[in-house]
Amino acid sequence: MEVENFIREVLVKSLNEYMMPFPTDKKVCTEWAQDVPRGGGTVIYTGCMYQVTPVSDLFNRALPILSKVKGAEKLYPLSSILKPTNMQKERANRVLRSIASMLKRNGVQFNYLYEDEPYSGTVLLELGYVDEFAQYAKRVKGHLEKHQVRRLITVDPHSYYAFSRYKEFVPFDVEVVNYLELVKDLGTRVKGEYVIHDSCLYSRFLGIRENYRSLLNNAGVKLREDPFVTGPLTSMCCGAPIGPVRRDESQKIASYRAYQLNQLGDKLIVVCPLCYLALSPYFKGEVVDLAELAYNELGTGQRDTS
Amino acid sequence: MSWIYAVERAVRNNVPKVEGILKDHPYLLDLAAKVRDGKTEVLRNLDRYVEETIKAVERSGGRAYLASTSEDAREIVSKIVGSGKTVVLGKSMVAYEAGIRKHLISTGNDVWETDLGEFLIQLADEPPSHIIAPSLHMTKERAEEVMRSVDPELKGASHERIAGVARKFLREKFVKADVGITGANAVAADTGSVVLVENEGNIRMTTILPEVHVAVTGVEKILPNLELAMYEALVQAAFGGLYPPSYVNVSSGPSSTADIEMKRVRPAHGPKEFHLVLLDNGRKEAAKDPVLWQSLLCVRCGRCHLHCPVYRVLGVNWGIPPFTGPMGAMWSAVIYGDRRPAMMCTHSGGCKEVCPMRIDIPRVLEELKARELKR
Repeated sequence: MEVENFIREVLVKSLNEYMMPFPTDKKVCTEWAQDVPRGGGTVIYTGCMYQVTPVSDLFNRALPILSKVKGAEKLYPLSSILKPTNMQKERANRVLRSIASMLKRNGVQFNYLYEDEPYSGTVLLELGYVDEFAQYAKRVKGHLEKHQVRRLITVDPHSYYAFSRYKEFVPFDVEVVNYLELVKDLGTRVKGEYVIHDSCLYSRFLGIRENYRSLLNNAGVKLREDPFVTGPLTSMCCGAPIGPVRRDESQKIASYRAYQLNQLGDKLIVVCPLCYLALSPYFKGEVVDLAELAYNELGTGQRDTS
Repeated sequence: MSWIYAVERAVRNNVPKVEGILKDHPYLLDLAAKVRDGKTEVLRNLDRYVEETIKAVERSGGRAYLASTSEDAREIVSKIVGSGKTVVLGKSMVAYEAGIRKHLISTGNDVWETDLGEFLIQLADEPPSHIIAPSLHMTKERAEEVMRSVDPELKGASHERIAGVARKFLREKFVKADVGITGANAVAADTGSVVLVENEGNIRMTTILPEVHVAVTGVEKILPNLELAMYEALVQAAFGGLYPPSYVNVSSGPSSTADIEMKRVRPAHGPKEFHLVLLDNGRKEAAKDPVLWQSLLCVRCGRCHLHCPVYRVLGVNWGIPPFTGPMGAMWSAVIYGDRRPAMMCTHSGGCKEVCPMRIDIPRVLEELKARELKR
């Protein structure tokens, strides 16, 4: 079976059965939420992206091989044994708690669906399984209605983009926003110079490139910009979106992007879990998510990385 | 890595140039919008405009042909050229698409590309890596190595010196040429004029010095009138980063004179014959497609390439030459029915932002992905 057909089969089955792109222990998705009220209305939406993205490269690596094995598509439930490492889980929890904390500090009240949170379907759309995405969007819409969700606060660019496209496929009146549009300050001071890698979706499709720049500037971060590397028309993709179908090419793009960014410095800020996954193996230096900068376990309100 | 170095240099040279041009000459954005409207009008009524164009060319003393396939185009051009001729080619990616150069060589002609980039490609026997800069994949060092087949003395030469070798070699070919073959940036349906924009001067010589001028181009290059056709040439030059262009050429039929009693007669000093070959090769079908039609709006400035991460890493290996890069991923489907290049799109969105025709390239490629996956 061609890898594309294999991916479709596995994705559609898993989404039908679990509302997740692959069977996942929901505890992995929800353990970050310590004191967020359960319920609908305005909800923080994680799509389990930060939580399970670390294991996605294992799939990218295995998919071309498994697609050649007859009947392998029936084994997809076994993928639930793949779990992020403790360090990966801690990092995801840190990012999501930080986002939740920023939202609260900025006066935004929200609930969380916990294990009832469905995946957005973004991978279907981005790989070109548009009909399957349309079908799945109908199901997610019904699910969100059942849980009386009126407003989604997304925390990653891919879910935000996917939900912003729902109206093309299904009547959808749930308001969709992103935490970067609601948070006005990081709540901490950050010293030091950083390079920033834009999410293509945030920057050129969703129009919030300046939101996170402004947050970082206000927190005292000095961003090292280069119009050829971090400009609105020139910043390159991390390569991750084609990882499942073209892993080699995806990695070549990631490697070149990391090389470009390294010319500007050795401390990198990303705003997307896929960018983090793609660039981390190649970037020489520290890679942090914007939300990690805001996270301060000790509550000293100061992060000095200079 | 030599590709990465070559394209990195091109980006640093070209990107600020285009931005500066658009800032200094803001009217170009208005012209681009008018060209888009004109092209849209033609694409919605393509058969009628093809017919009008053919009639207009004949009114101006030329001959026009509609070639359904590349094979048809080769046959038409072959009949015009014959064998044992010296043929100079001005850069035409449609001629490349139709395989004209290699075909004419195989039928016993001495055929030379005269655009420097195309000349390098011909010498190296490599496919073009960019729609307007076909030798973009060659660093200066590689270009010198290739040009050594013309001048073995070249060593550590400057850009100017390498260009000088080509100039010296090709001037002789221009003078000897029996037939000049060009493409067209635009064709005016009302006058049958072919508009060509360039900087090297090779196209001007190709269209004037030989006794026969053949223009080979796609049907989507037709614009309703000469005004819009001229605008397209200016828009293409500006968004390609070369504005003002050194030359804009308008060819309306064979050469002519009205110096005796103000009566216009043909030929005069330039070509005795003018032929326009309009190539379909999938374009007419694409024009009817609810999504893919947009790809025919492309003016082939090649700007999207430099803003695309996939092209910047994979270069000529993404798409089917001459159709590389984001526009090439669309055009590989239009011409060759191959949707696989679309599968590589990372939807980074730079292409859409910089396209003068505002083609929603990521959406077109998303649709092509969907169709490929339904196969």
